[in-house]
Amino acid sequence: MKNPNRFDRTRLRLDHLIARFFGANALVAIVVLALITLFLFREGAAFFPMNLENLRNYRLAGLEYVGMMRDEIEGHTALNRSLQDLRLRQMNALLAEKKSPEAIQAELAKFDAFTAEFDSAVDELRGVVSDLTDAVTAIKDKAKLREDALQQRQFLLNEGKRAEADAVPVTEIDFVKELEPVKAAFPLFESASLQFRGKIETLLLRPPTLPVKALQPRFEQFQKAARAYIAAFPETNRRLKEWNQFAPVPWIRSVTSFLFGTEWITNSFWQDWYGVLPLLTGSLLVSFIALLIAVPLGVCTAVYTSELAHPAEQRLIKPYIEFISAIPSVVLGFFGIAVLGETLRALTQWKALSWISFFPIAERLNAFTAGVLLALMALPTIFTLSEDAINSVPRAFKEASYALGATRLQTVFRILIPASLSGIISAVLLGFGRVIGETMVVLLCAGNRIAIPDFTQGLGVFFQPVHTMTGIVAQELGEVANGTIHYRALFMVGLLLFVLALGINWLAQLMVRRFKISIG
Amino acid sequence: MQTLSIHHRASAHRTFERLLFWVARAATYLVLIAAACIFLKIGIKGSQTVFTSHWPFVNVEFFTEKPSTLYVFDWHGQKMELSDASFRAFKAAHPQEEIAAETYAHSAGGILPCIVGTVLLVSGSMTIALILGICSAIYLSEYSTEGRTIRLIRLAIMNLAGVPSIVFGLFGAALFVYYFKWNISLLAGWFTLAFMVLPVIITSAEEALKAVPQGFREGSLALGATKWQTIRTNVLPYAIPGILTSSILGVARVAGETAPIMFTAAYVVRDNYPWEVSKWTDFFFQPVQALPYHIYVVSSKIPQNEYTERVQYGTAFVFLFVVLMITLGSVLLRIRLRSKLKW
Repeated sequence: MKNPNRFDRTRLRLDHLIARFFGANALVAIVVLALITLFLFREGAAFFPMNLENLRNYRLAGLEYVGMMRDEIEGHTALNRSLQDLRLRQMNALLAEKKSPEAIQAELAKFDAFTAEFDSAVDELRGVVSDLTDAVTAIKDKAKLREDALQQRQFLLNEGKRAEADAVPVTEIDFVKELEPVKAAFPLFESASLQFRGKIETLLLRPPTLPVKALQPRFEQFQKAARAYIAAFPETNRRLKEWNQFAPVPWIRSVTSFLFGTEWITNSFWQDWYGVLPLLTGSLLVSFIALLIAVPLGVCTAVYTSELAHPAEQRLIKPYIEFISAIPSVVLGFFGIAVLGETLRALTQWKALSWISFFPIAERLNAFTAGVLLALMALPTIFTLSEDAINSVPRAFKEASYALGATRLQTVFRILIPASLSGIISAVLLGFGRVIGETMVVLLCAGNRIAIPDFTQGLGVFFQPVHTMTGIVAQELGEVANGTIHYRALFMVGLLLFVLALGINWLAQLMVRRFKISIG
Repeated sequence: MQTLSIHHRASAHRTFERLLFWVARAATYLVLIAAACIFLKIGIKGSQTVFTSHWPFVNVEFFTEKPSTLYVFDWHGQKMELSDASFRAFKAAHPQEEIAAETYAHSAGGILPCIVGTVLLVSGSMTIALILGICSAIYLSEYSTEGRTIRLIRLAIMNLAGVPSIVFGLFGAALFVYYFKWNISLLAGWFTLAFMVLPVIITSAEEALKAVPQGFREGSLALGATKWQTIRTNVLPYAIPGILTSSILGVARVAGETAPIMFTAAYVVRDNYPWEVSKWTDFFFQPVQALPYHIYVVSSKIPQNEYTERVQYGTAFVFLFVVLMITLGSVLLRIRLRSKLKW
């Protein structure tokens, strides 16, 4: 310590450096958040141009053209399915009347004849469309081969191997010429479709009467649907005639077909669609069920624990809820597969519940099974934050209420809950954020059927299998090749999830800030 | 209900109040019972795998072996259940016989590689997260003055806490696995999990630092110590127990998550244990098996029957037990800390 001044100066400079070091560390949260955004974009953004190419090829290769014809067949299949369903219902009703199988056969003979004729009416049309399908998928495969060859050439060029790149064979495709035979087959389709229509019309002129009177309205509904179905044929023909192979596909379609697309179909021989809507509705449905259960239970538990419970109960409940929040989600998911799904299905088979139209449920793994388990995951979040909010209401509020002669429950419902409402709402929002981002439970228990749930069934929609945004990423990312459109689509789903989570978080913080002042 | 209800105007009103009280109580106990069902079901079924009725009362094989395929077959009226290795030995011993065995994947052997993998993942990622988290908490609590940057940092921490775990998985895959070309590896898993748990660590560390009384700092500064000397000698020693206690909850979270490691660190099967590497650097760049991922695999990729049930419940039991013990530890430590440190 010969020269204390210099010593001090280095010491101070060191202190300054240390402060800088810690400051730099504090930035890590911002950096990570920025990196997440950057890398989700980096991997996902190329999805849109690729999807546009995908949509353009769909039109160029004529898949769109034949797709309209295929829709006609699809419509028939759906009608056929409803006939099968009707037969099953009649069968069950007649069995309930304790009739013998032979008697039932006899009674249903006319209906069966009708069904069989309805089923076979489409055969010729189906043959025509099936041939056309093969033709256009062949064109599509050629286009795919060309694309792969181009990619390989680009790869070789990047490596600097010019000679080898030129040696890669790339066959140009004349889409007009390729599609000519398909378009030439239109009269064939038209006449087959006309014949099909005639057959259905004559069939509908002499519908059988059903042995079960209660089901007659359903059958009339079917007839109406079938008439509407054949009435749409001329419109299809008109659209087919007007169809233009070279009509431009605007780039915005690549975005809208992702955000509002109703189909998520991958690895299909026909056409891959990346529409996020089925996954989004699945996620929202499951979250809705979970919150429907978790919010009342969580808030009730919080009110009970902080205001009504005995201190000994309090000491038990709080750590217990902490244990619930520690249960790993994959264990909950396993519990759902192994126990809860089967238990719920057994419950719905209970006789006393048979008046509910959608009971017994068909699938043991469905949105409800996942929702119940997710409720248990959201509950600790909602409980802890609501309890904090209730406890942070100033003591004077409570005392004033009691001084005015209010009872304990009056104080709870008229004073404490209104005063802590902003905290409770933000607790619910954060619970929602936790639920919508949860992966393992929905992956294991939600049933994983990629389709928009059928909301026409009323509350029955709760018991349908769904797929979710988190689930699809977890399920498919391990199986796709790096850099393909499918891989990028999954990153876009992740990005959407990220944005949703940030939005929910932001809303929760806004809630707390906006209403905090009013408590005073 | 007893002392504070000063007067009751109408008995109908009172009945209504009582009813509401019981509704709240019923809701609370419904939650507790629902969770108890899960604990009990997994506890009872799982302990049948983990414990045995004879010495040493613990299923040693389950804790010391790798998962392997189970072979079930009928041999001269005797039902045989053999693991992969012993089935091959059995076949070698009876070469002339045709044995038609049913096979069940992952259903024999034990879960040692999964336990080792989880321990490695947790210890590595917690080390990274603690270093980063404590340093940034020191800045936030000791150095920073309220301002725009600090608000931004706090906002980022809060938002990071709300990011779904699967998004961390995607991010880890994009950055570490593909961009840094670490492939599916321990190192990629460490960083992914560390970033995921970072907000928990920062928040709890900051709270622990703030709990150290201001007088400790002022006394030190008044004696001429620099800021860093003050922090090193008068703040950190008193905050470290608190930081570690609440970080234990972070351990439970890291151990419990499956989604972030699915594409960054975990493999369904590994032939070697993590320490069996040819070069020491390979250690960091190898994938591992992990308990949560193993539960996912055995509960969704193999069919449900009496043979597979054993490994499913057994693994779930071990995993749940470990996570709950960690939580219990954190609760107990917190209680002790509160009663011990009073200034």
